[in-house]
Amino acid sequence: MKIMKTKNYLKVIYAIAVMLLLGNMAFAQETNPTDTLTDHVKKLNDDVSFLKKIQFSGYILAQYQSIDSAGAGSTEFYKSVGNVKNQFALREARIKLVYNGNLSQYVFQFDATERGVAIKDMYAKFTEPWLKTVSLTVGHMNRPFGFEIGYSSGDRESPERARMSQTIFPSERDLGAMLTFQAPKTSKWNPLKLEMGLYNGTGGANAAGTNLEFDSKKDFIGHLTYNKSLKNEKLNFGVGVSYYNGGWRDGSTDKYDMNNIAGVEQFVKTSNTSFIGSITKREYYGVDAQVNMDLPWGLATLRGEYITGSQPGTSSSSTSPQTAPTSTSNVTTKVVVPNGNYNKTKDTTYTVATGATTTTASPVYNRNFNGGYFYFIQNIAKTKFQVTVKYDWYDPNTKISGKQIGVKNSNTSSADIKYSTLGLGLAYKWDNNIKITAYYAMVQNEVTLLKGYEHEIPDNVFTLRLQYKF
Amino acid sequence: MKKIALTIMIGAIAMAFTTMNISIKIKGSDTVLPVSQKEAEVFMKKNAGANISVVGGGSGVGFAALIDGTTDIAMASRSIKFSEKQKLSDAGKAYKEVKIGFDALSVIVNPQNKISQLTREQLEGIFTGKTTNWKEVGGEDMKIVVYSRESSSGTFEFFKEHVLKNKNYASSIMMMPATGAIVQSVSQTKGAIGYVGLAYIENNVKALKVSYDKGKSFITPSMATAKDKTYPITRPLFYYYLSTSEKKVKPFVDFILSSEGQKILEQVGYVPLQ
Repeated sequence: MKIMKTKNYLKVIYAIAVMLLLGNMAFAQETNPTDTLTDHVKKLNDDVSFLKKIQFSGYILAQYQSIDSAGAGSTEFYKSVGNVKNQFALREARIKLVYNGNLSQYVFQFDATERGVAIKDMYAKFTEPWLKTVSLTVGHMNRPFGFEIGYSSGDRESPERARMSQTIFPSERDLGAMLTFQAPKTSKWNPLKLEMGLYNGTGGANAAGTNLEFDSKKDFIGHLTYNKSLKNEKLNFGVGVSYYNGGWRDGSTDKYDMNNIAGVEQFVKTSNTSFIGSITKREYYGVDAQVNMDLPWGLATLRGEYITGSQPGTSSSSTSPQTAPTSTSNVTTKVVVPNGNYNKTKDTTYTVATGATTTTASPVYNRNFNGGYFYFIQNIAKTKFQVTVKYDWYDPNTKISGKQIGVKNSNTSSADIKYSTLGLGLAYKWDNNIKITAYYAMVQNEVTLLKGYEHEIPDNVFTLRLQYKF
Repeated sequence: MKKIALTIMIGAIAMAFTTMNISIKIKGSDTVLPVSQKEAEVFMKKNAGANISVVGGGSGVGFAALIDGTTDIAMASRSIKFSEKQKLSDAGKAYKEVKIGFDALSVIVNPQNKISQLTREQLEGIFTGKTTNWKEVGGEDMKIVVYSRESSSGTFEFFKEHVLKNKNYASSIMMMPATGAIVQSVSQTKGAIGYVGLAYIENNVKALKVSYDKGKSFITPSMATAKDKTYPITRPLFYYYLSTSEKKVKPFVDFILSSEGQKILEQVGYVPLQ
């Protein structure tokens, strides 16, 4: 009887064990391989979606340049030092990192060449979530004026920007905050874009601690553009108007303005202690236009920009200052003529330089200027060749020209000379990454009465550049 | 024996001529996707050694891949944009455009929706958000749920230009990444409306008749009405490829343009060139 009971118990235990085992196997078989694969794919999709938010890009511009005469210098001849007639240079070598959030963007770009490391872009951009029309950008960014400033060197067809752009915007970038108004792509208003910002006005920081704000005066920049393609996709055009209103704090009691005295155009000095601390005005008006055409013989572009306005500078330069303008002079002391050498008709003292120097604020020279450029770019049919013709001019002082510059007592200088440049370029677009450009810039200056500028200076520049972009 | 050896030899030579070692990547329009897949399938059966992969994503995705060099053929339901031409030119790449057929763009609703026809003006009102309830266009008192393709799609652009007359889509519209997703959503939502190529229409959705003459006549989207051009919403379909890839892709492109290829195109639900 006992043995029978034990056998029955064992049977029950055995049956329970088998049921449990079968249940586990059934559960295991419910895990569908397709579900597992779906989970893996979903995870991969999530990872890829995150990685797609991060973009790396960059380019390197390596070039050889030669200029007609050593030491001539030119805005077409990149930052030569000393008396050189030719040079190899890394014009730019950029790395750019962009992180795209849902309605935000972070951009960091720096430039590293043999001349040093410079910060280019370092800004964050936020777009409001309701209309997705208004964005705020804060940080170190391209100034929203005209077309050429914001046009990347990696895309630009000529080696250098126009002389005017380099002079009034010596660094394309500045520190500030900008509002952008542009409707989403699905809106009929999308072709219209308005950018308005407030900036330090000193231009971008090249290295740590450089070009910082020095006068508390903020500059306003505004740019309104309209960009559209025709329905047949054969033509794309853009037009824009720009306005700059700024200035910098005057540190000098003296100011020079153009005036015509006795038939002579000249800088006339005004002195007043109230000038110190006042803001000397910097105001520009600009228009720009671009037309891109799909012609039977290849894509072609016509592009132009014109800027005029008032540009405060110094006696020797009309370039926008990136630090408070100063001038250095020798310290002198009066010496009494010793007995025996005294001459009644002359001064009893004379001055000698002590060897020391003193730095004072430069007096402001106010100039009215204008400048502009025109590009004609033609891609040669379906080949990899592209031809560029560019003409640009910069007249830093429209109230004076030619042999009026350098007239005695006119207080004019080389900063008042008008330059015009005709450039011819041929590019070969090897592939997505590589482009080779040969460019010849014929630079012409006004002939003046100034020493060294009584004739056309031999300063034409040849550039051979290789660009690698990714 | 000699005859057998000769037969084997001739067979081997014939095989060598039909064996084609080519690998082609095709990417782009979801509208063109079904026909590319079918054409590729038949082409690969006829040509051992040919390997063709076909991926959708939208016409814009196809052009981007052509510019980047990650596809051999970009299939598109719209013509190339100026900005895309510029990017190809900047990369030193010449391209060719080939029209492969036509598509009738159909407006679909859920089969339970009593509405069977709409005018272009009514469609414009629905997709721009002015009309939000089916009762406003003669249907039930039911909210209209609108589906569209994303902005990278050629179909999105074509519908906006030709049906909405370049007015904007309503901001409340659901943007779907693929045509199949629109079909699925419309089939599962009673008040839904969307647009797809004729080849995508299945029994789980209903294609509406459309009028472009303010209700005087309504035309059903079909192969016949697309062929005789009575259906007003038809558009060309394209293949784009780089000139440097022409030798590689030409056999396949020529196949699609051949009478056999055009017959396959028609069978899938597209309108042939002739």
